[in-house]
Amino acid sequence: MEVDREDGRSQNQLRPLACSRNILHRAHGSASWSQGDTKVLAAVYGPKAGTKKNENPEKACIEVIWKPKTGQIGKPEKEYEMILKRTLESICILTVNPNTTTSIIVQVVNDDGALLPSAINAACMALVDAGIPMKHLAVAICCCVAKSGYVILDPTKLEEQKMKAFAYLVFPNSVRSVLPEGSLRVEGEPIENGIITSVTHGIMSVADYFYCLERGRAASVKLSDFLRRNLQQQSTDSSRAG
Amino acid sequence: MEGRLANSWRLTVNDKNFIKTALLSEIRIDGRKPFEFRKISIKFGREDGSSEVQLGQTRVMGMVTAQLVQPYRDRPKEGILSIFTEFSPMADPSFEPGRPGELAVELGRIVDRGLRESRAVDTESLCILAGKFVWAIRIDLHILDNGGNLVDAANIAALAALLTFRRPECSLGGEDGQEVIVHPPEIREPLPLTVHHLPIAISFGFFSNESILVIDPTHNEEAVMGGRMTTTVNANGDICAIQKSGGEGVPRRVIMQCLQLATSKAASITKQIKDAVEVFNTERALRKIKRHPTSTGDDVREKQN
Repeated sequence: MEVDREDGRSQNQLRPLACSRNILHRAHGSASWSQGDTKVLAAVYGPKAGTKKNENPEKACIEVIWKPKTGQIGKPEKEYEMILKRTLESICILTVNPNTTTSIIVQVVNDDGALLPSAINAACMALVDAGIPMKHLAVAICCCVAKSGYVILDPTKLEEQKMKAFAYLVFPNSVRSVLPEGSLRVEGEPIENGIITSVTHGIMSVADYFYCLERGRAASVKLSDFLRRNLQQQSTDSSRAG
Repeated sequence: MEGRLANSWRLTVNDKNFIKTALLSEIRIDGRKPFEFRKISIKFGREDGSSEVQLGQTRVMGMVTAQLVQPYRDRPKEGILSIFTEFSPMADPSFEPGRPGELAVELGRIVDRGLRESRAVDTESLCILAGKFVWAIRIDLHILDNGGNLVDAANIAALAALLTFRRPECSLGGEDGQEVIVHPPEIREPLPLTVHHLPIAISFGFFSNESILVIDPTHNEEAVMGGRMTTTVNANGDICAIQKSGGEGVPRRVIMQCLQLATSKAASITKQIKDAVEVFNTERALRKIKRHPTSTGDDVREKQN
């Protein structure tokens, strides 16, 4: 079914992606991620000695600070911090540096839809830039369900407001390995089919949700390719400079 | 948290002595001369009123927003200008989130004094209905990277954001002309703010041996210097504000030298800001021309940065 989106994209088309790492000098790792007009800046400091009071000192701890573009920090920001913290805790290897805290600071530069997925992608790239050990990358995408039942990917702010429901989905990145085909499966399914995080807003039927998951998974493969190309290119650049 | 205190950064004695000895021969550790400013780059975001300034390694983002509020009782015909500084923890590991510390408050006050008391921004033009509705302009300064001399960079970011900000046009309506109708930007073009002059803050660092003076100190030099002074001047040669809080005493002739230097630097920085704003305005005008959406490429289009 052909759908008319305001900026002329098709249903499954993402906005132009841009990512640059190592843009701040004081932070141990930093990345800027933009999807269309949504732009997020993430910085990582860590690991630092000590964990917070209620955290388990036998593992590394992750602390997220979300800075909105303007205004006071309120409940929505605290919710984003919590979602980011739990997502990143599941992708970092927490047993390598016990009793340490890694702080991730996310600054919203511009919000034009799909803000939380952009922030997750930016935070993940900043962690790579800082050299924090991780199991795999997190690839985040936003899917919207319209009243008439079709699903679009990566909405702008206007599209998000018009839609019946939307879901933020985070998947592990696609795996390219030299090991034999079956060894990296978990319970018979490849690793990249797992969902790390899913946040939904609005009402959608179960069938719509599963359709969103399918579309999101397909898009996450493309996003993983972009991430891989971006990381490989920048690592060859820095080795040439050295 | 004692754990956090253990992570605070301190410059070693060797580094400090190196910086001081180099300054005796008029050499600074990043290769500049004592009266040379770092490279300033001013960029703007997509929206009106968002700027990002990079002064060497220091990076500051400025964001201007406006809201219709009731004016203060003692100034019913004037708009309100307020500045909020955020020392983001991403700029420096020693910045804690939450309430602003004394450095943040001082920076906010210096920028505020330069803009408000020198009447750089015309607050009377922000009044819509005297005593009832005025525009409250809020400037948010986010410090993203602390490479030294945050005041100057934050000031330039605030000025750049103010010059590119546009407030919605509104008119009086209703039966007795007491209601304010705010027109959305698609219907009526938003208006820029009236800025009479640009107060530029220039900071100096004083070092104890032989009254050495540097302009635009970096982060390492700030840890070594004995005193600092920030002068806010504009291109017309007016002094808008001077801030020297504590630190070691300096003779009068050094202060006069600073003011003369500041006036000459202010002219070049003002020109740079105005040029950058010009470029942004031309781009903005070009964007207003409606174009057909370009034909679709493959599913993931990328822009390499």
